[in-house]
Amino acid sequence: MKGRIYRHPLAVRVTHWIVALALLVLTMSGLQIFMAHPALYASDASTFDKPVLSIYADAGAAGQPVGRLQVGSHVVTTTHVLGWTSDGFGGENSRAFPAWATIPAYRDLADGRRWHIFFAWVLIACALVYGYWALRLIPKGRELRELPSAVLRHMLPWRVKAESSYNPLQKTAYFTVVFVLVPIAVISGLALGPSVDSWAPWLPALLGGRQFARIWHFAAMFAIIGFFVTHVAMVAATGLWNNLRAMITGWFSPPKGAS
Amino acid sequence: MTPRRASSGVTLQRARFLALLASSTALAGCARIGTSLTENARFHRILDSPERLDLAVLGSGQPLAREYAERAISPDFRHNGFDPPADAAYLQWMRNAWRGYRLFVTGLVARPGSYSLDDLRTRFKPRAQITRHDCVEGWSVIGKWRGAQLRDVIAQAQPLAQARYVIFWCMDDDGTGTKYYESLDMHQASHPQAVLAYELNDQPIPPKNGAPVRLTVPTQLGYKSAKHVQRIEVVAGLGAAYGRGGYWEDRGYEWFAGI
Repeated sequence: MKGRIYRHPLAVRVTHWIVALALLVLTMSGLQIFMAHPALYASDASTFDKPVLSIYADAGAAGQPVGRLQVGSHVVTTTHVLGWTSDGFGGENSRAFPAWATIPAYRDLADGRRWHIFFAWVLIACALVYGYWALRLIPKGRELRELPSAVLRHMLPWRVKAESSYNPLQKTAYFTVVFVLVPIAVISGLALGPSVDSWAPWLPALLGGRQFARIWHFAAMFAIIGFFVTHVAMVAATGLWNNLRAMITGWFSPPKGAS
Repeated sequence: MTPRRASSGVTLQRARFLALLASSTALAGCARIGTSLTENARFHRILDSPERLDLAVLGSGQPLAREYAERAISPDFRHNGFDPPADAAYLQWMRNAWRGYRLFVTGLVARPGSYSLDDLRTRFKPRAQITRHDCVEGWSVIGKWRGAQLRDVIAQAQPLAQARYVIFWCMDDDGTGTKYYESLDMHQASHPQAVLAYELNDQPIPPKNGAPVRLTVPTQLGYKSAKHVQRIEVVAGLGAAYGRGGYWEDRGYEWFAGI
């Protein structure tokens, strides 16, 4: 069609969708793995009596099972969502996360690890292919200067219009995911492997210790989920089908009058 | 509040509810697909395939796990796994400060033999190491081990040319009569930090941590570090007679537990 531009090369489109799948599986299998010991410690070894965060089942006032989330010295009741929630067999049980959020749905650390490590390799393979195109996400000086005004424009996100090229905020967001969040997730994930640590003892040390690496890993996951939600919302708000088509066929229709 | 604003509030609430419902339904779909794929034997073999890659990348060489200062030792070395053995022989040995207990070395060796605790202390150069124990569940504890290096004990027995693996037959069972066991290949077994420990934190190993003798392999996850070792068997291959090389390996966990 007249006026369309070829926006995404094949390698970018293919890796985009594989990475999307990989991140979904890594998140859901990661939650499965975390259920085996749903607690975080800001140290190298676990300080079991002083978790930074923990999710657990508890007895309520009437002796009924309740779920709790403890962050620092704050405890909130999270029954049916965290700590005491759906077990994948139609009932509820002592589980950190609900069955619908984990792979496999029922509690299974061994298979959760198999999924997680398989898709970790998929992610790394995609990173190797995508690496060359990722360089285009590095913001230029001009874009960094325009960043504050782009942020201001996004204060009303539903009025943001699609443009032929990425706007500075959009580009910075993608850059952050590709060059900051995913690398943190990968590096902190590697630091959890005792054999990896024997090859690179500086790796857990860099992150504040092995248990602290779990915090980085968890935080990176949350940040990536945050990006995902925003990304999907912005894709929907700026022309769902046009954006989707661009990431499937490569062809994007620039809005009228857009630069 | 005007009716119009109220209704738009309700609309927003409904939209938010629908979005939540849609996303959790979508996730539940993923969890369901993931669960049924997990149960597909052919797909599971694909999921298992990275283990060979992990071993190829991390298994060569013998880098040392980090060793810590005394002050890093965890106040309590957490216990996980089965209860200590409770059979008459074990209890009798325990009451007699482990007199009568012997560690056997059998299989493809020129000189099979057995060692009392005193033999292990006096006939092999002791090695002390303060290392981190990383449980597959996610937690870590640091402890000080003293014991004989596995490679010295195996060398004493003079393994035959066809020896490839070392199996550790243990005295603890899962409550249904199935006993714990583990295995290492000869390369892993010759790692300087693979230690047959008889002391934890300068005391005889407590029953919960694997008395009287346990293996410690700080370059892999905790389940490789078999407790209550009774017999070491040198074999040519893991084969059908030995399952997948360990109690947890037979239940889906990786034989190479380096990550």
